[in-house]
Amino acid sequence: MKTKKYFLIAFLLTVIGNVVKAQQEIPNIADPRLDFTVVDIKGDSIKLSSLKGKVLLIDFWASWCGPCRSSNKQLVKLYSKYKDSGFEIFGISLDEEIKDWKKAVAKDKISWLQGIDDRGWDAMTAMKWNVQALPASFLVNKNGDVVAIDLEKNELESKVKELLGF
Amino acid sequence: MTAIIITVSATSQFTKASLQASGLTCSMCSKAVKVALEKVSFVQEVKVDIKSQEYSIVFKENADTDFDLLKKAVEDAGFSVASLKVTGNFSELSVSKDKHVQIAGKNFHFLNGNNQVLNGENTFTIVDKNFLSAKDYKKQSASSKMECVQTGKAGSCCSQEGISADARVYHVKV
Repeated sequence: MKTKKYFLIAFLLTVIGNVVKAQQEIPNIADPRLDFTVVDIKGDSIKLSSLKGKVLLIDFWASWCGPCRSSNKQLVKLYSKYKDSGFEIFGISLDEEIKDWKKAVAKDKISWLQGIDDRGWDAMTAMKWNVQALPASFLVNKNGDVVAIDLEKNELESKVKELLGF
Repeated sequence: MTAIIITVSATSQFTKASLQASGLTCSMCSKAVKVALEKVSFVQEVKVDIKSQEYSIVFKENADTDFDLLKKAVEDAGFSVASLKVTGNFSELSVSKDKHVQIAGKNFHFLNGNNQVLNGENTFTIVDKNFLSAKDYKKQSASSKMECVQTGKAGSCCSQEGISADARVYHVKV
């Protein structure tokens, strides 16, 4: 009976421990383990942590990824609707061919922040964010905390509105 | 005859392969296939070639190359093999239709070939079930009447050649 009690206490402590740990471990873009810098189409650097303060969608994609290209179409609409209210998108392409990336950016009419990490699945940015499949997106609030991952377009829009305070 | 087979096994070795995966979703959009292939014991390196939609696989030197394990890795990752071409270095390897040969310790049954002798680097396409699309498999397997083409096991196909009935036989085309 006594052993059972100890087991219960040990179990509860583990659960509480994990919950506390989970609370501490909300990923934040200011965390050096998650921060990165990529170059944009003009060759200028964009640093992830510098975007803190915006409602931000971090979007990993590639020109050869069909589902990413259809997602771009949705993002174009979302971006034009909310960009003036403090919403930003930071696209990171894993394309290995820079010209393929540039072509796709032009074709999909991408006007948001856009950088390239041209090493495919070996890209450091994708490894840092543990990206296992494309597209992969992370929604970040004004404090820099990641609040949602891979939201479907309607969920994404309502969450963006909520975070912007609409 | 036996002597020739032994010579072939000792000097021939598979070195690399190119694999295409297919599935319900974009297979290149997932890291799963690459990661699974990298975990196969005899695989040295896997590169994704976006243009050709292929995984280029380099084998460890003198490793036991068991192609069924590549298929299993792709399937465990949730995809299927759409094409597997294996490349190796061969020495005086004579191939002809419906002839069984042993290469690097594995049994191979050629579905084509006209007594040609292969030397140096050559590539074979594996045409066993689940190593290509169902449609292509149907087409390829029709090119031989021998039952091992259907089962991938030696069965009674090559008992005369001293290969045991339950031995795995890979069916290939040059």
